[in-house]
Amino acid sequence: MLVMGEVRTGLLQNSGEIPESLCQGVLGLLSGERVRTSRRPIVYAVSPDQLTGVDCRLASASRARVRGVGTVLSRASVTGGRVLQGSSHIQVARAESDHRLSWSHYLARPGVIEVFGKVRVPDLADGFADSGGWNDCLDLGSVGERFMDVVQASPLLDRKAPFRSARTRLRWVAVAEEPGREGPGIRFTLGRDRVRTLRLVLPDGFTPDVVDFCEDLALHDWLLTTLLVIVERARVGTATRAEVTAKLAPAVDHLLHLWMPAARLDDDFAPLWEALERRPGFTRQWQSLVARVRDQVAINTLALLREAGGW
Amino acid sequence: MTPAYAAFGEVEAERRVASAPLSHVSIELGHLYMEDFQAGPERLREQFRQVAPWAETMRASWRARVPGGRARVSTCFLIDDYFSRFSTPSELVPMVLEAAAECDLTIDYLARESACAEADGVKLARLVEDRLVTDPPPGTDGSRPPVTETGWLCNGARSPYGGAVQAMGSARGWEPPAQNAKRRHSIFVDVELWDSDSRGRTWSCPFLAAVWQLLRLGLIRNDGELPVRPVPRGPSFPANWDELPAVVQLNPAAAPFSAYTTLSVLSTRFLPVELAVRTILSQVFVDAAVLRQVADRSGGEGIPLPDELVDRISYIFLGA
Repeated sequence: MLVMGEVRTGLLQNSGEIPESLCQGVLGLLSGERVRTSRRPIVYAVSPDQLTGVDCRLASASRARVRGVGTVLSRASVTGGRVLQGSSHIQVARAESDHRLSWSHYLARPGVIEVFGKVRVPDLADGFADSGGWNDCLDLGSVGERFMDVVQASPLLDRKAPFRSARTRLRWVAVAEEPGREGPGIRFTLGRDRVRTLRLVLPDGFTPDVVDFCEDLALHDWLLTTLLVIVERARVGTATRAEVTAKLAPAVDHLLHLWMPAARLDDDFAPLWEALERRPGFTRQWQSLVARVRDQVAINTLALLREAGGW
Repeated sequence: MTPAYAAFGEVEAERRVASAPLSHVSIELGHLYMEDFQAGPERLREQFRQVAPWAETMRASWRARVPGGRARVSTCFLIDDYFSRFSTPSELVPMVLEAAAECDLTIDYLARESACAEADGVKLARLVEDRLVTDPPPGTDGSRPPVTETGWLCNGARSPYGGAVQAMGSARGWEPPAQNAKRRHSIFVDVELWDSDSRGRTWSCPFLAAVWQLLRLGLIRNDGELPVRPVPRGPSFPANWDELPAVVQLNPAAAPFSAYTTLSVLSTRFLPVELAVRTILSQVFVDAAVLRQVADRSGGEGIPLPDELVDRISYIFLGA
């Protein structure tokens, strides 16, 4: 079993968070299909699944030429009315024929890419995880990003983002646990250019919950990355207190309340989150940043009160 | 206190998909265009005479396949009121029914072609168009949007534009189009889905026929609901096509309109149309939940269905 995906995460281009009622219009990428929403513990809306056909080379660590044909499954989602994600994934399967079949064959297997000839799962998994610089191979990130662009272009959005932020990319690979190979586990790597890679070894094979987990991780990684940049730009200790507070305000207005790791995940994935909480310790870092933001705001408030002659 | 398990569900987070009642096979007994109507009732009778034995063969074959011979077979007839309007339901429908009865055929359901474009306020053709996933030529890696010609759909890569000039300034010669799933040689098909003028968009005959096949296979949903439900016939037929329901149930004892499989008995002049229909249907992504629903039902009856929906469609082409 080999499943590969990429999640891109960014700020929804709107001055404020959008209400749940607007999500249907913004994420309604397919007529006749409803956007699914959930309200607890955080408002989350997800578009209907979209398919994109591909027939191309798949990256492989050995640089072997591997051709795959099939469809990419994608969706766009908005969390807290504020964070937009475009997510695409595929399952790799061995083709039973040695030539390309009628397109209806591939459409009957949504989200599956059939590869011709003999392939080794680790070769493809390593190739995909490192495929950033390859330009003629399967590009899952661009597929998901196009659906994000469609959402961002919605006339229902005012396209006035409250602060500057960059999109992050999380490329993930999931394989099934096999006897004699590495046991169930998770490996998360921060790469350059806001690219993260995630490798999962799953004891029970692939379920759609894996995609939810990867999207959830990508969301929290983006939150952390974005908050770090905001704090960095505030130049605490260098700029005036008023300047620092003004730079930190968007974080208070738009980000701090969104942190809810594993909020909608199946219990099976709790151990994976717990492992990530031990190292690198997402929530620890987040809480420390949040405390810093709040302390800065509090100090500035005290200073203002003093100036006003309050005490 | 022992730990408690809390179950929590949200209605808006769950997808509900209505299920369609399904026959084993839906047989299309005919498709009436203005030219057929103008040729008079004898043409219609001739058509039904030719169709009758094939319909009976299909019925018998399903009886033999289903335990106890309890085959659910429904028949339907499509009248074109989209490309040209002729006669009225009150005049035409009784004539069609009479001609069928003379050949011992029962028409269970009657449908209007314009219903395939829009029925009961639901734009069916748009729903299907949104679900097209184009057949990718080799080299399609997802980095760019799919190459499409607005309003057209093909099964491969088109010829480069005529007169295109290469970077060095030399004119480029003709290059052939290529079918994606070719076996050495190509059969390249490029289908016009619609055109438009000041009155708006007109869907092509193959596109509406593709919608028609999807309706008969019970595979279209709008917001999880069935977009078209057959309406029992009234005591008389209206004088205006718009007043006739999209699909009218003529026979109260009929098996369900939609079916696991379809059979269309057609004149050979429809062969190119049906090739176009199959080119379109090969690129329609049907809702996975609906496909699963149909597969579960048929599997429960011991009738495995092909995964590819074009394989659920059969034809008999008759010479003139």
